[in-house]
Amino acid sequence: MLGKDDPAASSTEATVVVRDIEPYGDHQPAVAAASPKHAELVALNLLSGTDRAALGRLMRLWTADIVALSAGRPAPGDTAPELALPGVALTTTVGFGPRVFALPGLARLKPGGLDDLPVMSHDRLQPAWSGGDLLLLVGADDPVSVVHAVRRLVADAAPFARPVWRQTGFWNGTGADGKPATGRNLFGQVDGTGNPAPGTPEFDSTVWSTDGPDWFRGGTTLVVRRIRMNLDTWDELTRSEQERAVGRKLSTGAPLTGSVEHDELDLEKRDADGRLVIAENAHARLSHHSTNDGRRIFRKGLNYVQDTGATRESGLIFLSYQADVAGQFLPLLARLDAADALNEWTTTIGSAVFAIPPGFHPGGWLAQPLLR
Amino acid sequence: MSPLRGNSARGSLVGLSVKTKLLTACLAVALPLLLSSCGSSAPPQASADSATQAAATTPGVLVEDAWVRATVGAKDTTMTAAFMSLTNPGGTDIKLTSATSPAAGVVQLHEMAMKGGKMVMQEKAGGINVLAESHAHLAPSGDHVMLMGLKQALKPGDEVPLTLKFSDGSSHDLTVPVKAFSEEEEHYHPSATPTSTP
Repeated sequence: MLGKDDPAASSTEATVVVRDIEPYGDHQPAVAAASPKHAELVALNLLSGTDRAALGRLMRLWTADIVALSAGRPAPGDTAPELALPGVALTTTVGFGPRVFALPGLARLKPGGLDDLPVMSHDRLQPAWSGGDLLLLVGADDPVSVVHAVRRLVADAAPFARPVWRQTGFWNGTGADGKPATGRNLFGQVDGTGNPAPGTPEFDSTVWSTDGPDWFRGGTTLVVRRIRMNLDTWDELTRSEQERAVGRKLSTGAPLTGSVEHDELDLEKRDADGRLVIAENAHARLSHHSTNDGRRIFRKGLNYVQDTGATRESGLIFLSYQADVAGQFLPLLARLDAADALNEWTTTIGSAVFAIPPGFHPGGWLAQPLLR
Repeated sequence: MSPLRGNSARGSLVGLSVKTKLLTACLAVALPLLLSSCGSSAPPQASADSATQAAATTPGVLVEDAWVRATVGAKDTTMTAAFMSLTNPGGTDIKLTSATSPAAGVVQLHEMAMKGGKMVMQEKAGGINVLAESHAHLAPSGDHVMLMGLKQALKPGDEVPLTLKFSDGSSHDLTVPVKAFSEEEEHYHPSATPTSTP
């Protein structure tokens, strides 16, 4: 009988929430949207004949596909049209890797700092998960819709580019109460608490490019890092050791100096023995903007598992959005590489960086100001 | 008699509800597009005010999801077809009356029809009707825009300019992507029906 007295609770239970996300806007819409339940990233390399004009044709083609698929319609020429479903919050984000700007005519339009990331001392990068000229990031509430959309977009790209890696991930951004929540990685940590909130000036100044080439205003950059997590050795730790490595409580994600998730960190607080409560090498301290000259990023995660026979690898597809990779992300990356306590249980095995062009409006197409 | 009536009534109801749902979904997405596309298709000689008025009351046909089937690998590379969805949100039927393309010598509006027990392709008399508050889907094995006398083979990744003219006087200039597609290929190449040769 519990809960029956609360009409709001019972109506929430009975309602299946379906939604479509408009493909249009000043920005590609998935960037600021909540993490999708299911997602696939595909990096593609341009074929040798793909020049600036051909890239424009591909962007027009993808734009039409994205508009149709976002509304739950089959892509034009869809060979499996019945797989297109509305109401699954399908989004597609498109990015350009650094080499796109090596095409004739595009060199001087390259966003500043858009270069392959330097290799960090803890990195064990595998070419199979690294680099790429184009990125497709497709997300939805339903994995069938993701796979179908990716299939169409990759098939339509065949005359222009071929896939070099694919990563599939999942995220639960819904709390036990049915409300949006930050979500957890496979260590069990609440992951992404420190993000600027979409719709705030902090978010806008963190994510959207305002200087650099004109065509890139309203764009952003995306760093994709495939981080393998050693769950076996992590599980050998006590909970307090696990919490100390991050500087946050596993139960709520609250800082060890606070009581609820979004409490501000008290980086000076010491325990009875005089030790810093949030340790010198705790992830939350090292990544906090107050210790990084105010530099922030907007990070999202997707959990992944990679099975080979009976062997499972687990990890996180780390996604970081920022207006300027070199100015915002690289200093943070170097800091974490040098000292982060979590490095003992994590290894980055893939790394890629993309410029995410601004969004498009009805009648327009992706990266039109760059490629027209 | 009564079971038959019952069946057909149920059938049409289902059909209607699906159609309405689809239309609603499309309209929600299409509305901003309509506004921008109407402005450009308004008659140039009309005053700005009356053009806006006309656009608001008779929004014309919305063209979506257009594509052209590639000819690469086909037996006859001189012809192909364009497909698309036409949505008429207004209260009056509108016909697609003609189409032209610089890529093709001749462009016709075609339908598939049964003739002597065989499905054949033929020119559609009077054009393709888009009923008020409804859709017309131009798709493989149905109505389509036939491109004949192609000036060159069309391969996936190419684009074809296509202009559509409608009975309400509006026209749409499209840039249509060429896509690989194999289904129903024989329908568009009636002279090249697969034979049993090994």
